[in-house]
Amino acid sequence: MKQAFLLGNGAMALGLLEAGCQMLTSYPGTPSSEILPETVRFAKQANLNTVIEWSVNEKVALDNAFAAAISGKRAACCMKMVGLNVAADSFFSAAYIGNIGGLVVISCDDPGPHSSQTEQDSRFMARMAKVPVLDPSSPQEARAMIKTAFEISEQFQVPVLVRPAIRICHARQNIAYDELKNNDTKAVFKREPTRWASTPKFRFLQHKALNEKHVLIAEKFAALAPYNQHNIQPGQAHTLGIVTGGVPSAVVAELLAEFDRTDIPVLKLGAPYPFPASLADPFMDACDRVLVIEETDTVIEYLLGDRRKTFGRLSGHVPMEGELVPEKILAVMNQALSDSDLEPLTHGDNTQEAFVLTTSLDLPVRRPTLCPGCPHRASFYAIRKAVPKAIYPSDIGCYTLGSNLGGVDTVLDMGAGITLASGFWHAFRQDGVDKPIIATMGDSTFFHSGTTGLINAVYNDARFVLVILDNGITAMTGMQPAITQGVRVEGRKGNAIALETIVKGCGVTYLKVVDPYDVKHTIDEIRTAHEWSRSPDGGIAVIIARHPCVIGLRDQGLPETFEVMVTDECDDCGLCHLQFECPAMKRNPEKGKTEIDPVLCSGCGVCLHICPKDAVQCVLKEMT
Amino acid sequence: MKTYQFVLSGLGGQGILFMTKILAQTALNKGFNILGAETHGMAQRGGSVVSHLKIGDAGASLIRAGAGDCLISMHEAEAYRYLPWVKPGGMIFVNAPAEVFPDARVASYLDTHQITGFAMEAGKTSFELGSPRSTNLAMVAFFGAFGQGPLDADALRETVTYMSPDPVKEINLKIFDTCHEQGKKSAEKSAHGIV
Repeated sequence: MKQAFLLGNGAMALGLLEAGCQMLTSYPGTPSSEILPETVRFAKQANLNTVIEWSVNEKVALDNAFAAAISGKRAACCMKMVGLNVAADSFFSAAYIGNIGGLVVISCDDPGPHSSQTEQDSRFMARMAKVPVLDPSSPQEARAMIKTAFEISEQFQVPVLVRPAIRICHARQNIAYDELKNNDTKAVFKREPTRWASTPKFRFLQHKALNEKHVLIAEKFAALAPYNQHNIQPGQAHTLGIVTGGVPSAVVAELLAEFDRTDIPVLKLGAPYPFPASLADPFMDACDRVLVIEETDTVIEYLLGDRRKTFGRLSGHVPMEGELVPEKILAVMNQALSDSDLEPLTHGDNTQEAFVLTTSLDLPVRRPTLCPGCPHRASFYAIRKAVPKAIYPSDIGCYTLGSNLGGVDTVLDMGAGITLASGFWHAFRQDGVDKPIIATMGDSTFFHSGTTGLINAVYNDARFVLVILDNGITAMTGMQPAITQGVRVEGRKGNAIALETIVKGCGVTYLKVVDPYDVKHTIDEIRTAHEWSRSPDGGIAVIIARHPCVIGLRDQGLPETFEVMVTDECDDCGLCHLQFECPAMKRNPEKGKTEIDPVLCSGCGVCLHICPKDAVQCVLKEMT
Repeated sequence: MKTYQFVLSGLGGQGILFMTKILAQTALNKGFNILGAETHGMAQRGGSVVSHLKIGDAGASLIRAGAGDCLISMHEAEAYRYLPWVKPGGMIFVNAPAEVFPDARVASYLDTHQITGFAMEAGKTSFELGSPRSTNLAMVAFFGAFGQGPLDADALRETVTYMSPDPVKEINLKIFDTCHEQGKKSAEKSAHGIV
């Protein structure tokens, strides 16, 4: 046995390979992004032939894995929960059609949210798609559940969803594991059009078959200890029981143990859907009231179906939004115990005093900001300078932080930088208003969901400027390789696809490429592009602002560096640290002027071009 | 066994994860189970970073506010930010000059709840000895001098030896030993009621 201190995402990677997963596809997104690289690492260590790919988006990823699964192989697809929205078309249909080799979808939830646009609960997507779902309570359990998920998926020929929340993905635990082996199952595709290409008549039959599978899976789930179990003996009666699952079930177990409370029975539902009624019903019958503690929404609460007996979100006992951190769960349990005339676990909340004190200290607010030297900062500065009174639709990535520079007005979903731009154009055009619109989108987001919106905008004659922020890498989620670089997982060679080719292929005729570090030129090009877009023969103008990420591609991003200083010409206007928001530029309150922090300064030299007083001077220029 | 719970805090880039790994590896070497949680927020650099680590048989990765045995912080403000996670009777170790820590408003809270705080300029010492990036292990060495929890100083030093790449091994151990000595002096003073 080997032992490793792994992220939950690493534990799941092990689980995938231990279960003989032959193909893994994914699109990165917090908190799921490390599952794929960890799978690559373990597969390489054990010299496995697993097919592993970063796909262009989540739907594409799931379609690819589905093909492997209907060829008899074990396949998996992982993503963050909003990625499952993108893959929903595939996910819902795959449930009806079913699979032959096991198909496991891992959708990582982000209650909080820490790094997402919603707090949606993937278990609800599973319920809607009629896909069985497993909800781990620890990294170790997540790893074990993946094996169970493959077994159920193969036994019942249905995809299975594993839903780890962020406290699984980004928890670390010591994990012992054995040698990993290749799964040598060969691909076989048997033509069966009524199944793989079924028409509505056959879809009805597939839906019926899926519903019948659910009855059997619910029975299996009722006996699926230790994921699903309770500790009530026949004949016992209780004032209050707790129904829980996933991460909160681990917290509940710890709290009951810490305060030595054996009088509160617990029903754990780590496999909540299809709902294991034959396990849950006797538990409900034995309790006068039950408290439901689950993350993030009301899946179990709805499935229990006895609202008058239930304390939970619907009764106001559990917060409707935000992460259920342990101190919140303690407060919820205390309230429910008090409402049931039982002794609470603790009296009063002794942490409030400390939270009040901490708030009163006015600690520095550390809002997320673009890195020193980030080329996006220069791009947003140029956009604001070139067309100051525009609407700035943007998108999801590092560059969402361009909001700090006033360059991001909207963020809806992946690809909406372009689609909102065209929607704004038509909405204002209808009133005869010529509204300037400058949209932004990163290179990876553009490949993920940008092209359909761009084709639509060109076809329907919208008028705006699109600035594609091309830093040659998928930076936000941990520096995954970009399609434009032709690099695949583990540095393997792929076929590079140029943004220019795609943009022109979408029907765009006005295309310029600039280096945002050349601030003055970038401003000129954006202004010219905007003017062209409004000319009689104009249309959509695309500018590719190309400069490599200074963190992920440092050598290419900073081929030369500038040591800079602030001269006495500085009149303390604050533009460089307040509007331009370079983290390396700070106000010295004693001197009443800006100073450069040499530790944080990347040496990009962009500040040489932005000071209105020309008070930033280059001291030394070096080739790196 | 009851778990021993560390809250580790600092700023992005200060090596909170490395500090977590030193403590976790030492616990593993001693045969303990470990479970921890990392919270990064969205900031790449300079943002607030906190890491929870439970030594022993834990089920949930997050430490409950008011339940942490020990807070080790790389930055004074980041120590105050995570103060609510320290249990009454717990301990705080912070990278700051002893003259400034704790802030007067914090001091009375610590007194009321029997929380003892110790400060050392680990960053300054590491800088003077030639490796400012080693401040994280300097704080581990400082903590190790107080004999708290199941991880002793010798075992922590052994982990630092094993985890340090060759070019910086010698300097890391020098920083470890220097900060361990400073910790022992602080611990002795504290035992005699002089803080």
